[in-house]
Amino acid sequence: MATILDIITTAGILYAVAAGLLIVFGVMKIINFAHGGFLTVGGYSALLVTKLGLNPWWAVAFSFVIGSLCGMIIERLVVRPLYSRPLDAILATWGLGIILGQLITLAFGRGVQFVQSPVTGAIDLLGASYSEYRLLLVLVAIAIAVGLGLILNATRLGLVTRAVIMNEDLARGLGINSGLVRFATFSLGAGLASLAGALITPLSSVDPNMGVPWLVNAFMLVMVSGMSLVSLGIACLVLGGAQVLVSSWGNPILGGLTIVVLAALVLRLRPQGFARG
Amino acid sequence: MADAQIAAIPATLDRAKKRRDLRTLSVFVAIALLLVVVGPYVLPTFLVNNLIRAFLYACVALTVDILWGYTGILTFGQSAFFGIGVYAAGLVFTHLGFSTGYAALALAAGLIVAVLVAAIVGWLAFYHGASPLYGSVITLVLPIVVTQILYSGGNFTGSSSGLSGFESFDLSLEAWFRIAGVYLIALTAGAWLFVRSDAGKILVAIRENEQRCEYLGINVSRIKILLLVVCAAIAALAGYAFAGVQMVVAPEYAGFVFGTELLIWVALGGRGTLIGPVIGTLVLDVSTSYLSGNLPFVWKLIIGAAFVVVIVALPQGLMPLITRAVDALRGRGRTADSDSIAPILQPALEQPFSGLAEAGSHALELHGVRKQFGSLKVLDGIDFTAQRRELLSLVGPNGAGKTTLMRCIADGSERSEGTVRVNDHDIERLPPYSCVAFGVGRKFQTANVFDTLTVAEALRVARTRLASPSLWQQSEVLALPQASLQVIRATGLDQQLGKQARYLSHGLKQALELAMVLALEPSVLLLDEPTAGLTKPERTRIGQILVELARDHQLCILLVEHDLDFVREISSRVIVLHLGKIVLDGSVSEVVESELVRTIYSGGNHTFAGNA
Repeated sequence: MATILDIITTAGILYAVAAGLLIVFGVMKIINFAHGGFLTVGGYSALLVTKLGLNPWWAVAFSFVIGSLCGMIIERLVVRPLYSRPLDAILATWGLGIILGQLITLAFGRGVQFVQSPVTGAIDLLGASYSEYRLLLVLVAIAIAVGLGLILNATRLGLVTRAVIMNEDLARGLGINSGLVRFATFSLGAGLASLAGALITPLSSVDPNMGVPWLVNAFMLVMVSGMSLVSLGIACLVLGGAQVLVSSWGNPILGGLTIVVLAALVLRLRPQGFARG
Repeated sequence: MADAQIAAIPATLDRAKKRRDLRTLSVFVAIALLLVVVGPYVLPTFLVNNLIRAFLYACVALTVDILWGYTGILTFGQSAFFGIGVYAAGLVFTHLGFSTGYAALALAAGLIVAVLVAAIVGWLAFYHGASPLYGSVITLVLPIVVTQILYSGGNFTGSSSGLSGFESFDLSLEAWFRIAGVYLIALTAGAWLFVRSDAGKILVAIRENEQRCEYLGINVSRIKILLLVVCAAIAALAGYAFAGVQMVVAPEYAGFVFGTELLIWVALGGRGTLIGPVIGTLVLDVSTSYLSGNLPFVWKLIIGAAFVVVIVALPQGLMPLITRAVDALRGRGRTADSDSIAPILQPALEQPFSGLAEAGSHALELHGVRKQFGSLKVLDGIDFTAQRRELLSLVGPNGAGKTTLMRCIADGSERSEGTVRVNDHDIERLPPYSCVAFGVGRKFQTANVFDTLTVAEALRVARTRLASPSLWQQSEVLALPQASLQVIRATGLDQQLGKQARYLSHGLKQALELAMVLALEPSVLLLDEPTAGLTKPERTRIGQILVELARDHQLCILLVEHDLDFVREISSRVIVLHLGKIVLDGSVSEVVESELVRTIYSGGNHTFAGNA
């Protein structure tokens, strides 16, 4: 039972972490390697909230706002000139990740620090005692998925965004300001990454390089998901589940490799990954 | 032979230039060797030590430049091969001890493991149809996997703290400085010759247009895998020397972060320049070891910021700025393609009908070919055969499936059902380069050439399959089949052999692509609107050449054309496609007089009746 809950909560956490990367990749066809940096920004936003002695729930709003602001600035200055050079965009955003990491190091030091969790304690679920906070994260992940789905499918912005995803040139020809769509997408992606960073910190700790391992896993999950929110969910469940199983029955180091290796193999055998092909 | 004389003058100049290039290289190598020999006498020990490390890093950075700068494979994984070399030495010397025999064993083990890993990674990353992004994903996974394996190795690999305190070569720091320096100089000079050679141009061709390479019969995946294997061995050797001199090994040397650091050095120095990445690595690595003590985090911040600025604003790095400044100081302009020579054109010994094609009873045979995207049927049961000497035009309104049909003949993985036989060879599910080997030559609808290669280089790349190019020099003659020469001369391309393809007019690009396809000596020629964008006289000339090719060279030509006058002038047979089916197959006069064709083209009975 605990294993099943582990799988579900791991998938939820991965989903929250990868969602921002997915929408940026889906709309802009750009891999945002600053995603790890944004996660770190979120982690330190939560740390600030803790240090200021505010209610830990403030971290949610605070991290999202700070992440989005970073995203807005970066989209204008760095990402915009690289639309037509996707491989260079990977490198430039990786450089941005370095910059974010170093700025954070300068401001907060390189040590490991801890953040207060908004929810503590365990809950009895079907005879097993389980961390309330991890379960809460599953709800958050579902909320993110539903929220993004609603934005994409039920709002005018979503309609315009879908037009840009399918055929950007045509969309521009129809008078859609695709630059604005990209701007909004990147900011939202950065905000989500930062939010996810704030959400995962109570589970572990914050340090200036906390984003990198998450970035790699999130990147691989997005690669196998194509551009669909639903297939990202499936990928998180399947690959995250495999990670939990390998970690608990094999060894944790191999568990850490499960997602990247399986995702690489899945893509080799089925290039469209978990997306319907 | 006025022709030959005119050609001979630039060729002499070119030969002089080539000698000058070689002399420049020798001078640079001599100076570099001198510096490496003298260096340890005058430099402080701390700097000597740092430079040894930087030399070895620069060797790895060179492989990154070859893979990324020249071939367009963005790789995060060269650090893993370096790490394999590092750990081969570290593990053998720690667990078995040090002796000459064990040193050789460690070297062999490191190289073998690196080569095997590179082959596996290459197989994973560079299959036919893989996206460049996927290749990069795999090179990113590799160092992560390697470091995790090292972490999980417990006492055997020393886990996260690595191994140290093992015995190593009894060599002075000065000797190591010279060994590392000579290795770097030899690699740089070798790479310089290679990228300028005829074979080196294939790397650029792959970077510019991988699809065109495949349709020129080049097995791109194989070349990329071979290249990765060689680069892996070079990096592993550098790693082995690194462990030998530093006598400490750690998982970071195989890691993803080191892999990206290599990319940063190459990008800042200038990708695709060889010398830029070498200088970039030396300067950045040495200055890091001096400055990171004083400004630990700020220095890394500066490097990160410089990297972002260079990628965004100066994608070619700092090297081109420096060379331009040097040229300006010396008061001479630099031509866009200064590193290549224009060869003399020559007819090749042709053999289009030996071997495969000779055996064929039908040049082209299609049976029940279907292609569907989901429920949409683009081709619905196409059957026809075509013989040599036929000039067969495919006509039909937009969306009839003409281009799709071409694709299904030139790439075995395209069709959903049915068989395609070329010269009696079933193309099965084979990739385009195998179809080229059966005799297929395909020209795309829009001009599909290599932007930064010159006309002569592009033509030589097209000859790769039939005339294996030199790995270290540029040939002074370019032998092409008669048909290709005819197209080149008729369109005046022979006057522009040294010009990069991106500066050609649209019509000349079309002509260049046609000449490249003809350079393959195909027996089944697929032409998708070959004369679009050409002037009337050029069209007429190309039309004549096509007729001659079919008649004199016994080619089977399949032509997609919208210009019915052109079709009428040159075709021996016409097939009309409509909604994915063949609706008419006959001689020119049968088709031109057919009511059906007029109906299809005018969009229905009513319109046609109205016009009449």
